[in-house]
Amino acid sequence: MKEAWLQFKSSFFLYSFLRDPVAIVSFLIFLVLVILSFLAPAIAPHDPYDLAAIDIMDAELPPVWMAEGENRFLLGTDGQGRDLYSTILYGMRTSIIIGILAVLLQAFLGICIGLIAGYFGGLVDNFLMRLADIQLSFSTLLVAIIIGALFQTAFGVEKYEDFSLILLIIIIGIAEWPQYARTMRASVLAERKKEYVEAARVIGLKSGRIMWRHIFPNALSPILVISTVQVANAVMSEAALSFLGLGMPITKPSLGALINAGFEYFISGIWWITAFPGFVLVILIFVINLLGDWVRDVLNPKLYKH
Amino acid sequence: MFAFIIRRTIQAILVMLIISLIGFSIKHQFGDPVRDLLGVSVSEAEREALRKKLGLRDPFFTQYFRFLKNAVKGDLGFSFFYKKPALEVILKKTPATIELVFASSLIIILGSVPIGIFAAIRPQHWLTKVFMGLSLIGVSIPVFLTAIMLIYIFAVTLHWLPSYGRGDLLDLGFWQTGLLTLDGLSHLIMPATALSSIMLPLFIRLIRSEMMEVLQAEYIKFAWAKGLKRIRIWFVHAFKNTLLPVITVGGVQLGIMIAFTILTETVFQWPGLGFLFLEAVQRADTTLLVAYLIVVGAFFVITNTVVDIIYVFINPMVRITGKA
Amino acid sequence: MRKWYIALFVAVVLTMASSHVFAAGKTLRVAFDADPVSLDPHEQLSGGMLQYSHWVFDPLVRWTQEMTFEPRLATKWEQIDANTMRFHLRKGVKFHSGNDFTAADVKWTLERLKKSPDFKGLFVPFTGAKVIDDHTVDLITEKPYGLVLNMATYLFPMDSKFYTGTDKNGQPKDRINKTAPTFAKLNESGTGRYVVAEREQGVKLVLEEFPGYWDAKAGNVSKIILTPIKEAATRVAALLAGDVDLIAPVPPKDHDRIRGTNDMKLVTWNGGRIITFQMNQHRVEAFKDARVRNAIVHAVNNEAIVKKIMKNFATPGAQQGPEGYMGYDPNLTPRYDLAKAKQLMKEAGYEKGFTISMMAPNNRYVNDEKIAQAVASMLAKINIKVNLKTLPKAQYWDEFDARAADMMMIGWHSDTEDSANFTEYLTMTPNKETGYGQYNSGNYSNPEVDKLVIASQSETNMEKRKGILQKVERLLYEDAAFVPLHWQHLSWAAKKNVMIEDVANSQNFPYFGSMMIN
Repeated sequence: MKEAWLQFKSSFFLYSFLRDPVAIVSFLIFLVLVILSFLAPAIAPHDPYDLAAIDIMDAELPPVWMAEGENRFLLGTDGQGRDLYSTILYGMRTSIIIGILAVLLQAFLGICIGLIAGYFGGLVDNFLMRLADIQLSFSTLLVAIIIGALFQTAFGVEKYEDFSLILLIIIIGIAEWPQYARTMRASVLAERKKEYVEAARVIGLKSGRIMWRHIFPNALSPILVISTVQVANAVMSEAALSFLGLGMPITKPSLGALINAGFEYFISGIWWITAFPGFVLVILIFVINLLGDWVRDVLNPKLYKH
Repeated sequence: MFAFIIRRTIQAILVMLIISLIGFSIKHQFGDPVRDLLGVSVSEAEREALRKKLGLRDPFFTQYFRFLKNAVKGDLGFSFFYKKPALEVILKKTPATIELVFASSLIIILGSVPIGIFAAIRPQHWLTKVFMGLSLIGVSIPVFLTAIMLIYIFAVTLHWLPSYGRGDLLDLGFWQTGLLTLDGLSHLIMPATALSSIMLPLFIRLIRSEMMEVLQAEYIKFAWAKGLKRIRIWFVHAFKNTLLPVITVGGVQLGIMIAFTILTETVFQWPGLGFLFLEAVQRADTTLLVAYLIVVGAFFVITNTVVDIIYVFINPMVRITGKA
Repeated sequence: MRKWYIALFVAVVLTMASSHVFAAGKTLRVAFDADPVSLDPHEQLSGGMLQYSHWVFDPLVRWTQEMTFEPRLATKWEQIDANTMRFHLRKGVKFHSGNDFTAADVKWTLERLKKSPDFKGLFVPFTGAKVIDDHTVDLITEKPYGLVLNMATYLFPMDSKFYTGTDKNGQPKDRINKTAPTFAKLNESGTGRYVVAEREQGVKLVLEEFPGYWDAKAGNVSKIILTPIKEAATRVAALLAGDVDLIAPVPPKDHDRIRGTNDMKLVTWNGGRIITFQMNQHRVEAFKDARVRNAIVHAVNNEAIVKKIMKNFATPGAQQGPEGYMGYDPNLTPRYDLAKAKQLMKEAGYEKGFTISMMAPNNRYVNDEKIAQAVASMLAKINIKVNLKTLPKAQYWDEFDARAADMMMIGWHSDTEDSANFTEYLTMTPNKETGYGQYNSGNYSNPEVDKLVIASQSETNMEKRKGILQKVERLLYEDAAFVPLHWQHLSWAAKKNVMIEDVANSQNFPYFGSMMIN
């Protein structure tokens, strides 16, 4: 363990991180958001997920600095009378977990399938890519309906609420792997004929090692670009699925669900229900993107490092 | 090439078979189509009679084989809601979606190529930072919110653009187009912009990062050393080489865009496939849903085949079949 | 040269004059949440189809804003004997096809109604029609029936000659089929103010004035372009942007916005749709106890829901039928009282509460999902923990039929505009054979209620009938048979010059044919 730490301490990874102020600041902001969301029960002034504690008579109050705002609710309340500030803190946890884990699952599945398809080619490639076509036809919504139905027949409606978070990660994770797979496969096809891959093969390296250590890093750039966009998509997908009764329970709104609600409130001028969670999501996506850019620069063998 | 196309066609049929099988086995999850056909106060006995009449009570495989038998004849079933052949309904709505996707692809290409290149060759420029920042905000705002914001600003407040629908169409017989009338074009602007708001940032970032990589490659250094003109190096040598990953991602994203049309078309009441799909889900129009899935499956096989063919032309190193 | 000018001048004046004289009619651009699913008025019993029927057809009689009957194709009617009502029909009325409207068409239409899967239930009490002469027809019921006129509002005579024969597919023209193309689905010939000029299902319906229309007092709308816009926000935006003249329904949260816009107006109307929750006694033992049910009713602050979620665009209720219905009892009022609710829970031995599941649709009733959330939070205050699941209506009905949750939301509008209909569907003991209690997911059963409602069906003495129906409401109230929430209002938003308020009504059948645009 200690050895691993020492290795990490002297690694290029840490070295370049400490030399890059943008990366440090992004990472700190990201860390603060994560900590805030996981400590929400301790920090938040209200518990927005406790149905007994919310009162419909407090609904749609504006932020505290506006004429009808109340001191109890710093950023105002949503349509059910939940304190918006507390709800953002609580909801961010759901959104961060789903945004990151679902995208990791997508990327993992997609990268593995793409690598295998591109590297081995032939029948394997054809089979996997047609699988991707089938998957693409079944959008997230349909995957959600299928998995939701399977789960309900296996475990019943009552259990659904307890497992909804894991199910959502699986649903969103499975639904969108093909874009990673096709991107990865294309990169592999382009790389595998290059001299360094041939060279690696000649020295007798195993396929797995060639794929992961040699081809994968060279194909990383588009993967990271897609990923940062996918995090935002996953957060919004979760919110969209709760409409079908397949997302998180509507009594426990996530960041995405709050932003989603903005659609109907837009014309009536109740802007705060969307604007504040939207702002937090933009910040979150922003720092994840900056971190993504930094990771790409560090790991990319095609870029010269100083 | 001929053998390749034959093989791909067979694969496409297989894909569609599997999709129809999955679609068929989950279709009852969408709800009971009979519910939408009959008024609420109709008795349960009457409902059951209609279910039987529609063959919904037949065993699964009886239903499925009946479907296959008709599908061979080009009949994908009858839409419960539209009371027309499902394929006909889908084909009728296709032009609207194709025109929408075409227009937003145009916006994406015209926007992402210059901005992406600029951001790559001038990474420290203030304009680059503005573009990159804006693109992240674009990604973080869901499509439907962008859409309603556009409607609010340009239709409700400024009265510049129409708020919904396709406007006047020109009927070319097989294709109703809105691209040839002024009214049709003005209806297209906002939906196309909203739809491109998610993909545009992605492509800007993709082109930028690929271009930055290429600019560091040996042969570009060599080109500099040779004293070639800047414009030539950027646009001919460097940009050409960034195209490969961009096209791959582009091909897949075109498919993903179909998914996003669902939201955009719903907000703008755009009578296309995405809107049709969502309505079919909400009405439990299961025949239409299965037909839709099959058509979309065919579409993906076709786009991916085309992408694979383009590939060969751009990168001669890649053999289509991938056989070593 | 001068001649030219004069000629031009004359031409211009003539065109102006002619456009004034001949094109006095106005075009109305309407956006509703859906368009009619068919041109066949007997295909589906739904609000949208009945709206369409009022534009393209005419009923024998129709409802006025005051809930009385207005003669349309029937000019007079009289009770001949206990089972027979005689209708005198309007003379000189023509169908869109040019055929004359006669008593035979009424008889034909009634027979077709009795074959329609959707309408046959409503017309069960009728044995048939008897043609007396060309303009007199008797409607005969099996037993004395108090709602003959109510049902006559559903009788939109169709052109029997036009719909007789076979179409090009060899099918009879009067065929009613839900899922196959039929003649009546694509062609119409009614007596109504408008003729269908163009239709693309789900996209557009264009109606144009019928030149031979009988009613000289009709309004001045000569053309209607109806576009379905599903998204409420888009619908509101289309009105605010000036792309349409009239929209419905209007989401409650946008009411202030429309009231505050200069040349727009909002018209709301009390509607008859009650929104309720039912408590399933088969699934939850505690719900068998009237004290627990009463505790729940006392814990639900439906006045607050109306104020905050519905933005006062609903009337909080404590019974099934709204004011103006026969069984309405003004003494039954909402009874939110949290202290009493807690007390009742304690008496029933459930002070610590219990956990239940709840389901509601999320795109069926106005703000359904928000209402369900609010109710769940109110129940939390008497220690009933609610696991809430909301679904789109297509999936919700399956769950409702399966009685899949302990509390389920159901809204109901009486097709007969009569109180008994609510009880027949929502609170009578469920019975597969008679069809009573089809939507009673609570399995509430009270033999006295059942007996009273059945008695009310053949009671033609209106005072007695009123007494019976009021008693039913009172029994249900005391027993807390269900959780009453509110009656949804109807809303239209329009440009100031569109006089929708003159033709709106609580049935939600705007009579555009009689409407003026100033």
